[in-house]
Amino acid sequence: MAKPSPSPHKPRRKAKQAAVASGSFVASSFGPVETMTRVPTFPLAALLWPARGSVSQWELLPLILMTAGLFRWAAGLWGYSGFEKPPMFGDYEAQRHWMEITTHLPISQWYFHDLQWWGLDYPPLTAYHSWICGKIGSLINPAWFALFSSRGSHDPTLKIFMRATVVVSEYLVYIPAVVIFVRRYSRLSGVATWSASLALVAILMQPGTILIDHVHFQYNTVMLGFVVASMSSMLAGRDLWAAVFFVAALGFKQMALYYAFSVFAYLLGSCLFPRLRLSHLMAIATVTVISFAILILPLAVGTLADAKRGIDALPDIDGPRPPLPLFPWLADHLDTEGSTYLVVEQLVQMIHRIFPFARGLFEDKVANFWCALNVVIKIKRYPAALLQRAALLATLASIIPPNLVLFFRPRKDLLPLAFAATAWGFFLFSYQVHEKSVLLPLAPMTLLLAGSHGLSKTTRAWVGFANILGCWTMFPLLRRVDLSVPYAVLTLLWAYLLGLPPTSLGVYFHDGGNTWTQWATLFIHGGFYLLMLFWHVLVQFVVPPPDKPDLWVVANVGVGAAGFSLCYLWCLWRLMMQADILPRSWLARKDKVKAQ
Amino acid sequence: MGEIHPTLSQCALVTAALKILLFPAYKSTDFEVHRNWLAITNSLPLWEWYYEKTSEWTLDYPPFFAYFEWIMSQVAKLVDPAMLKVYNLDYDSWQTIYFQRFTVIITELLLVYALQMFVDSSHGASKRAAQAAAISILLSPGLLIIDHIHFQYNGCMYGMLIASLVLARQRATLLWSGLAFAALLCMKHIYLYLAPAYFVFLLRAYCLAPRSFFRIQLLNCVKLGAGILAIFGTAFGPFALKGQIPQILSRLFPFSRGLCHAYWAPNVWAMYSFLDRVLIVLAPRLGLPVKASALNSVTRGLVGDTSFAVLPDVTPRVCFALTLAFQAIPLARLFFRKTIAWEDFIGAVTLCGYASFLFGWHVHEKAVLLVIIPFSLIALKDRRYLGAFRPLAVAGHVSLFPLLFTPAEFPIKTVYTLFWLLLFLMVFDRLAPASTRPRFFLFDRFSTLYITVSIPLIVYCSLVHGIVFGKSYEFLPLMFTSSYSAIGVVGSWLGFMVVYFTS
Repeated sequence: MAKPSPSPHKPRRKAKQAAVASGSFVASSFGPVETMTRVPTFPLAALLWPARGSVSQWELLPLILMTAGLFRWAAGLWGYSGFEKPPMFGDYEAQRHWMEITTHLPISQWYFHDLQWWGLDYPPLTAYHSWICGKIGSLINPAWFALFSSRGSHDPTLKIFMRATVVVSEYLVYIPAVVIFVRRYSRLSGVATWSASLALVAILMQPGTILIDHVHFQYNTVMLGFVVASMSSMLAGRDLWAAVFFVAALGFKQMALYYAFSVFAYLLGSCLFPRLRLSHLMAIATVTVISFAILILPLAVGTLADAKRGIDALPDIDGPRPPLPLFPWLADHLDTEGSTYLVVEQLVQMIHRIFPFARGLFEDKVANFWCALNVVIKIKRYPAALLQRAALLATLASIIPPNLVLFFRPRKDLLPLAFAATAWGFFLFSYQVHEKSVLLPLAPMTLLLAGSHGLSKTTRAWVGFANILGCWTMFPLLRRVDLSVPYAVLTLLWAYLLGLPPTSLGVYFHDGGNTWTQWATLFIHGGFYLLMLFWHVLVQFVVPPPDKPDLWVVANVGVGAAGFSLCYLWCLWRLMMQADILPRSWLARKDKVKAQ
Repeated sequence: MGEIHPTLSQCALVTAALKILLFPAYKSTDFEVHRNWLAITNSLPLWEWYYEKTSEWTLDYPPFFAYFEWIMSQVAKLVDPAMLKVYNLDYDSWQTIYFQRFTVIITELLLVYALQMFVDSSHGASKRAAQAAAISILLSPGLLIIDHIHFQYNGCMYGMLIASLVLARQRATLLWSGLAFAALLCMKHIYLYLAPAYFVFLLRAYCLAPRSFFRIQLLNCVKLGAGILAIFGTAFGPFALKGQIPQILSRLFPFSRGLCHAYWAPNVWAMYSFLDRVLIVLAPRLGLPVKASALNSVTRGLVGDTSFAVLPDVTPRVCFALTLAFQAIPLARLFFRKTIAWEDFIGAVTLCGYASFLFGWHVHEKAVLLVIIPFSLIALKDRRYLGAFRPLAVAGHVSLFPLLFTPAEFPIKTVYTLFWLLLFLMVFDRLAPASTRPRFFLFDRFSTLYITVSIPLIVYCSLVHGIVFGKSYEFLPLMFTSSYSAIGVVGSWLGFMVVYFTS
């Protein structure tokens, strides 16, 4: 398997070299806490132990990528969301359906076609991606994406094709982005190559992304990959590319907006501090606008071309066209018969589809603040407008602190923490959050493993806690289609590799450091891990009372929201510490109080 | 010196995760075979086990394996009693799948234990190499493909074999080595292929005095003989009482089957068939007679009598004679050595495996593990051993690919095998010490060239052929794969023979 099997060998030249390598690795990545480690402290380090020293990255990297691929593909052998669950099936059908409509309908009808059956509600890059996948798939078997007749298809070969599109898309976007990010970030933080390889394995084996993309079925890693590529470009000082990649991320999945404030704060901050760089700012703005233009160009040009050929975007509607959604007043300023109007209509429809303002504060049970609050007071009683405003204010209150730090200290090493804190803020407080959105804060937080002290026990404890809690809150979603086994295997494997509970308590005990903090962390994390375990026992063996059929899910939401709030606070705290933004004296005092 | 990292248990844990993820993967009819045996042993009295034939997959393993199934069926009862009904053909509820797949993973712990014995029995500089070899066996793509996807219990039985081989390392445990092997024979009779090496080795090292062939160590002979009798008595005794031995033998040794199995195992007969195919085309020009009746048999690659169109037919007797002859050569050397090193014994076991795999009647491609696994234990002895091992590692594993033909498993088998080959060829290359003797011929070049050829071959067989020819000429990729692999196995065999006789 996997990563696992790195060579149990010591290079022939080694003796001296290995000592040097492990020495530097101790100094750079583990810090004073675990000085002079001569034995691996967690199983992942043991598995890659023989690769210390003289093994080149080019020997190790292919093995790591193959391992990651094997686990992804093997996990994909299990069922997907909505498998044999008529009438609507699930996310798998949505993605397949988009391949069906993009390959068969004129581009101007994409955002209008039969919205009741998984109407397209992602930005255009997803639509283009679906078009490419659909074209390739139709070459293999046209029936997979035949208009109408293919709905709800569960052809096993189609499943293999769909799984392959996820893996290929990920290996084209997310994986190269992560590999490059880890390399740049670890160099920036002075981390040895070997430790960086450990972090790379840990990031790629993150259970959440595998479970949602390769088992449940979605293409989140493409969007996350563009975000990581954007961060990676920031690390390399290529701010223009950062803007382009971020637009691509937004263009693939609107969820990337969770990071938008941080991208904005960093790019703006780096134009203002330490010295004003107005031309740089203008360049970034221009490139961003051009990227957006290119993103929607096919849609706009396609609409005009369709209109010229007499193809109507809404062929099913006789009589007057429905008014523009969202911005009905626009129609007063435009010639509704002109071609500009068609393009505007198209774009407004797209935005309307992407941002479902009309839906409630939250839909399903999701482990964020509002859903947890709903347990205590039935907030759905309050008017929607009030709730929307409350959500907006709470979100702003939570994301302004990390972004102010990033704005005034636009330092590269702060990026993952700031991104993570901002995304946590959005996840906890914003509108229309989905349980799968937890992948967004988890991604940058997990990238911390590649940074300085990334593999130290404290960082592993917190990054691990967030990831395992995140997977746990997605369990109700996975259980609906009998995916408990891949959930258990992938989550426990990752916990084992990184030496985390429930497989080991090692991360909570180390020599040196603040004993008080260690015990407090153990107490808090241990409490959560016990709750998670207890909850699994309940779900498995106890039927909830008949008048509260959702009791277990609600409990999951409450515990999850509390844990995620801690993760938000930890990221914010680390960010402020690392940015040296707090006065020293205050910091020393606070250190004792804070359970870190 | 402390533990060498990674430890076997760490690797076993991580692979177990992958193996559990593979639960829903393709499973061959062997899954139903073993389910049927669970049902037979659980629901019928002992005397009917070897007569039951409701399912076409009758019990055709020796009694210890049947006992083994019986023990597992006691647990299976608690999981899903429906799987234990003999008439419940092709039953595969998810409980049955989880249960059967889990038993493969659990019983494989025996392999992990035996490999740990092997590492612990090595000392000094070779310990690191032993650890590498042990992990390579534990992670073997052969076992992953055959046991965890295709479905069989080889991990457990190779664990017994390795335990027995390791016990042969010390004089004090020689007896136990022999007895463990006898027990293994009563589990699965395919290990009879290796029995001549055990016979000669135990005779020389245990039953005869170290200094002279003519002084018999009587006490040892009695102990060994009594032990083996006791084991065979436990296995076959109950059936012998009822006079069922002929029936069992007819189940164990179905000589009515053809020379080549469904897919061609990469052995001499695959090359022979390939040559025959080529001669069909050339025969008119060479003026050779072609038997018309044989023209269509091999091409379909189906089980049944294989007849050759141009070359003379091969009988079981010929196969048997050739196998014994090629086993006798290394065994004679083993017998007449002044002192028998453990590596000589393992080498002899490996060469017995080679001879029976290459010349045997109706050899299954899965039997290549009989060669690869013992060889792995000594492949790191020095660079000359490694040189002979490399083409075998490539050929042996590539030849297993046709076992899995479903598209979903294609990435697993290829990527996993590639992963294993890359990792271990790299690691072995760094760990194998230089030989004290000079290199003997261009074997390194041959193996590098050979390994390179595998890439276009796999691409052709798995992708290009399907695109160009579709469903027609389906025998072509199979024939290429087995002929290619046969060249590797035969080349590696010749190479290892030379190494064995010059070391």
